[in-house]
Amino acid sequence: MGDKRAWKSLRKAEALAYWAVGAPALARLPAALGYRIARGRGDWLFRHRAERRAELARNLQLVLGDELSPAAAQQITREWFRLTSCEVVDLKRLRHEARPLRRLVEIRGREHLEAALAAGKGVILCTGHFGSFLSGFSVLHASGFPVTTIGRWHYNYMGGISSAERWFWDRVYARPVRRHQQRPNIEPWPGRVQVAALASAALRANEIVTITIDAVPLGSDRARSVEVPFLGRRAGLLPGVVALAQVTGAPVLMGFLYRAADYGHQVWEISPPVPVEGDTATALGRCAAELSAAIRRSPAHWGSWCSTGSLADLGLIGPQGDGSPAAGPVLLPVGRFIQDRSADIFPVRD
Amino acid sequence: METIINDYISRELVQDPALLPLANETSLLESGILDSLGLLRLVVFLEEQFGITMGDADLLPENFASVNTICAYLRAREPRKQKSTRG
Repeated sequence: MGDKRAWKSLRKAEALAYWAVGAPALARLPAALGYRIARGRGDWLFRHRAERRAELARNLQLVLGDELSPAAAQQITREWFRLTSCEVVDLKRLRHEARPLRRLVEIRGREHLEAALAAGKGVILCTGHFGSFLSGFSVLHASGFPVTTIGRWHYNYMGGISSAERWFWDRVYARPVRRHQQRPNIEPWPGRVQVAALASAALRANEIVTITIDAVPLGSDRARSVEVPFLGRRAGLLPGVVALAQVTGAPVLMGFLYRAADYGHQVWEISPPVPVEGDTATALGRCAAELSAAIRRSPAHWGSWCSTGSLADLGLIGPQGDGSPAAGPVLLPVGRFIQDRSADIFPVRD
Repeated sequence: METIINDYISRELVQDPALLPLANETSLLESGILDSLGLLRLVVFLEEQFGITMGDADLLPENFASVNTICAYLRAREPRKQKSTRG
């Protein structure tokens, strides 16, 4: 028991040091060297975080099932730890107008963004908790696209976290991203009914509004979730992206940020507009299918593998984290997703 | 004004028939009539119906608490609207 607590404290200290000192230092090294070291830290985490490693491998196999051999699940899990480590370095490369990171990110599909903005109704850029998406939004903004994000800084709302920790995460995590946004995050929390209207205001100003469609619905939003095919199963996703597009007339583009084999370079792949006509489930299903395809193409990029709670909340696995297919979105307490994350100290994925 | 807004909300946003007929003082937020997307639809309707534009600062929940508060908010805007029209 004592050993476990000591190990947890050590792990926490290592992570804090990595966020506060290690990653900023790596971000100042030549990219090839910095990301190689970050990848090495990911390997170290893979070896030493046995519980997390097992949870990841189990969740991968529960959701992807027969598509994945145990060896492949282990390989993806190792890769997941590597990407986690590299994503912190991405955030730290957002200094100096994000130039250090922009040099490493190619934007494919820029023409789709430009064409959509030329129509004057703004753009909804839809993605998932996939790769270094937050840093990627900052890169887009620093590249001349006005970006506003719908998303929660969840450390602000987690229980059991001190004000000092909140200050720390705000400083090392949120602040670099905030520098490269058109407006502050539009944060959807219970009682905040103006979220869609604020997003609409940004779209009317011909800005890009980003949405992650795989966010776990909060308790107050669960009744609005819509069941769609996702990763070969059925998941309850919020249809906000479709409703917002239908009301405002803004086009929906899908975008995914993939990391190259050298771990330093990344590619934004931005799609042409996805049709949002028709009924909500069909339109949302198109977006979910794009995210499914991206996850299947590169499973380690999806951050949600680490959270059994959020996979269960989405309805992808049984409520006990077992393989029984959920009959639909599992109605669990609001705080479960947050509590899952609060057990960790890495705000991004780990 | 109250009738126009009440009719729109009753027709487009109220999903629970038990809440009808809608009283002008009924809390739209506490009764669950107005969620995030409902508010967006209402804002679009108000802008089209009354020829106004609502900015971020106008999108306060207290402005949309009930039909009465929406009307009070719109009436309070009228001098601003006239001023901006003259300007």
